[in-house]
Amino acid sequence: METVVDIHQLKKQFGSKAALDDVTFSIRKGSCFGLLGPNGAGKSTAMKILTGILPADGGSVRVFGLDAVRQRQAVQRQVGYVPQEITLYDKLSATDNLKFFGGLYGIKGGLLKTRMDEVLRETGLLDRANDPVKTFSGGMKRRINIACALLHQPKLLILDEPTVGIDPQSRNHIFDMIRHLRDSGVTIIYSTHYMEEVEALCDDIAIIDRGKVIAQGHLQDLFDHFAQKAVYLETDRPFHPESFASIKKSYTRDRGWVLETDQPLSVMRSILDRNEADQSLKINAIEMVKPSLEDVFLSLTGTSLRD
Amino acid sequence: MKNIVIKEFKLMIKEKGNFFFLILMPLLFIVVFGSIFSQTASSTLIVNIQDLDHSAASQAFIKQIGQLKGFQVKEDSRSSVSSEIQKIKKGNLSSLVVIDKGFEKGLRNGQGMIHFYKDAAQPASTAPIQAILQNMSAQYREQKLAQSLQAGGMSPQQIGRTLAAPLRIQPVEENGSRFDFMSQIVPGYTVMFVFFIMNSMVRRFFQEKESGMIARIQGTPLNPLSYLAGMWIPSFISVLIQCTVLLACGYFFYHLHLGNPFAVSLIVICLALCGTGLGLALALIVRSENQGLGVTQLLTLGGAIVAGLWFPSDMLPSFAQKIGYFTPQYWAMSGFQDVMIRGAGLGSIWKNLIILILIGLAGLALALIRFKPFVRSAAH
Repeated sequence: METVVDIHQLKKQFGSKAALDDVTFSIRKGSCFGLLGPNGAGKSTAMKILTGILPADGGSVRVFGLDAVRQRQAVQRQVGYVPQEITLYDKLSATDNLKFFGGLYGIKGGLLKTRMDEVLRETGLLDRANDPVKTFSGGMKRRINIACALLHQPKLLILDEPTVGIDPQSRNHIFDMIRHLRDSGVTIIYSTHYMEEVEALCDDIAIIDRGKVIAQGHLQDLFDHFAQKAVYLETDRPFHPESFASIKKSYTRDRGWVLETDQPLSVMRSILDRNEADQSLKINAIEMVKPSLEDVFLSLTGTSLRD
Repeated sequence: MKNIVIKEFKLMIKEKGNFFFLILMPLLFIVVFGSIFSQTASSTLIVNIQDLDHSAASQAFIKQIGQLKGFQVKEDSRSSVSSEIQKIKKGNLSSLVVIDKGFEKGLRNGQGMIHFYKDAAQPASTAPIQAILQNMSAQYREQKLAQSLQAGGMSPQQIGRTLAAPLRIQPVEENGSRFDFMSQIVPGYTVMFVFFIMNSMVRRFFQEKESGMIARIQGTPLNPLSYLAGMWIPSFISVLIQCTVLLACGYFFYHLHLGNPFAVSLIVICLALCGTGLGLALALIVRSENQGLGVTQLLTLGGAIVAGLWFPSDMLPSFAQKIGYFTPQYWAMSGFQDVMIRGAGLGSIWKNLIILILIGLAGLALALIRFKPFVRSAAH
């Protein structure tokens, strides 16, 4: 497995507050890596250190085998960074903004024009290329914000909360762009506090809370390790979970019950068998509960990610 | 760097406020104050007279005042002396000359009397009238002396020699053909408004910082010094354009005498370096945009007063003039006036140029020192 990013015992202190405390993780080449955590967890700080915007107080960051501090410019040439804020010149057109950002990476002339056309097509904004950015919707601004980081064809794209405050259509457009980039071999770091986005896009994740990485790995592995398996049952009759030995914990949700167990299939079989035998349950629905990152986060921290 | 320069120029053009503050407003000031002061230069003082004597002597007296250049006699026979005095008390009239009844008779026996009523709050318009009245009184005295000497048997030549003053004053205007109020107003407001570039530099840097653009640019391979230079150069060029437009307007519309164009150009370049160097330093030193705008107002308006941009600095108290020597505005203004009014060349203004360059370089050096902390604060 080839890694493109290796972060080892990264530290960052803001006054008395530890923004990053011994953060360690690595990212596989060609993967979409999700950095998940609540607001203020340290995600943006980690992204900024990775791109050379902020200096670290300790630890090491290697990108494509290069030291991100000593070989900063060499790293920056291969990295595209999309900050959380929409950092565009509102009064200038999309084209002018792209020209500016392209110039920062030394792209000019015919290549710049070709790349501008390509990224405008990818973002679906080719027809608005000459309009001032201030006339764009929030979603369109977000798309151009990403496009500015793609002009130099980075091998690693870092996206910090790229979908904050946008409409579903733009969000889907951004998701399609990210999937397309990943399919074309670009490694992606996707920082967010939206669990659904990580679940929809990412292969590997690290969960960060209060400056510490509290879990990391392949998405399915995290579910297997940290999310409690469960069965959801909806019935019109009284139900007594204690009568099933393998149910560890139960509680009501919506119109039914959530039955936590390490053997969901076995529990489902037992319920169906009993119902078939004595017709004591009139079952409306029975299904396995799909684990979520919310469950993982809850299991690890005891608090909800949205708290 | 070229990339940053182009972007900044595009933003400058889109920002209409820049055009207003750097070009339109100083032009407006030049036009308005130019009109006011050119009117002042050509205007005449009104001498309000009430003739209570109505004699040949009083009429001759009034006629003599009316013939003086720059004075115009106004007699209002319908109004009474008391009502005119009331007007002075209320500030509606600056002065009144009352030729008392019996003036002619009084002249004959050496007791002619006129009263000069004046508003103490308006010395600028009453002092010249009082001076001509005293001058005329002196003339009457000379006439009386001449008559006495003639009666004593002296010839007109002897009388002339006796009454001749031992001191003669010969006014010589060395640069009279070149000086007019526009030689004060055009360079004055040009220099003053150059320093308003500091406002737009402070605003631009804080816009870049607060929008997160500086942080984002830090994540690119751009050399930080290229960024700093890219932000400075457009301001420098815009000041050159500003000065060129304002001085050209003075030259074409008000016939401002520019003097040696090469020397004027060098002053403009050094002034641009000075104003934008200070602007760059200020933008990177202050903690907020408002603080930067406040400091700019203080430096620009305070400097304009003590440096003699609004009126000649020799009209100021000496301590204020001394403060003026510490402002770049003073050296720019005196350089302009030396070239425009006194016909000076490079040899006479080198000190002004060096002072402006040194202040500008000091600003740039300070900006370089402050750039890292500024960028660091922008990263959060």
